[in-house]
Amino acid sequence: MKVKPKFKMDFVSAETLNDKPHEKRINFILGKVSDGSILVTDGVLKPEEEMELIKETMRKVDDGFPGIEVCSLKRQTKGVQLFLERVTDQTEKFQSFLGNLTGKPIVKTSMRTGLTLIGPARLIKKIKKNPNSFSVLTEV
Amino acid sequence: MFEGFLDWFLRIFGSRRDIRLGIYGATNAGKTTLANKISMDFTGEPVGKVSEVPHETRVVQKKEKVEIKHNKKKILINLLDMPGIATKIDYKEFYKFGIRGKAAKRRAKEATDGVIEAIRWLSNVDTVLAVMDSTQDPLNQVNITLLGNLEARKIPVIIVANKIDRKKARPEDIREAFPQYPVVEISALKGKNMNDLYGAISKYARRAK
Repeated sequence: MKVKPKFKMDFVSAETLNDKPHEKRINFILGKVSDGSILVTDGVLKPEEEMELIKETMRKVDDGFPGIEVCSLKRQTKGVQLFLERVTDQTEKFQSFLGNLTGKPIVKTSMRTGLTLIGPARLIKKIKKNPNSFSVLTEV
Repeated sequence: MFEGFLDWFLRIFGSRRDIRLGIYGATNAGKTTLANKISMDFTGEPVGKVSEVPHETRVVQKKEKVEIKHNKKKILINLLDMPGIATKIDYKEFYKFGIRGKAAKRRAKEATDGVIEAIRWLSNVDTVLAVMDSTQDPLNQVNITLLGNLEARKIPVIIVANKIDRKKARPEDIREAFPQYPVVEISALKGKNMNDLYGAISKYARRAK
């Protein structure tokens, strides 16, 4: 008996996404999701990147693709980890600044530790989030 | 008196401008109702049209030179009512409001442009009122992403827990979800607690560095 697939889920490591420059990362995510996949990764986009993702999603919205649903759980960092996260942020900002000065902009940024689910809005009907967990209701 | 003179002098010679107060939030949180209430209270004129149909505001609506007064403090702002931020816009959702066919698709297209415009404006606002509907779950990704962005840009934010006149309102959920931010519970529609909001604006609003 042939079973019709309901939906596809792609689990992508944060390393895979970290290797991609900022723009390609957004395009990669949106490419997967607009093809109908639900993407799960062990990383969290920075808020600026997530806003960029929303912006790019809006550019892609059409009759067959109404948009996305996103939910992320960022690991709470404290003490040394928080310090290292801030150092990384500042280093990346400085590298980006230097890159802009030299005409070779560096657009790679590392994702934060956590979990993110991004899926097509026509599949995901509702995401119920609690501070440390979320549940997803899909409709196929 | 000296402060007043200094403010006037700096404004005239261009080094001090009015505070750009952006009203942000998800769709149908009551942003335009709030913008209208603030504007009506201090200028006597509304900012834009209010509707129960999502994405009624599809371009940034401005009201300049609004002087907010609270106790003895005066603060001059440019009020910016932003289109609602959303991660999805389905033209079919407009059907239940009687908008169909090409009109629904046109509205959806304009709404997507509005979201992009609102996001672009994030780099041009000084202070933000993040409006949330107290009857809805505050832990949605739009709210989380918006607040994360404002924090990263070091933009002061006041969370406005709106619609507290509704029976299902749970503004305490908003306080619990975002304990690190000032939260003001209001009903923009009924004009409830507006003085508290004006107090918070005069306390937290400032120009971007």
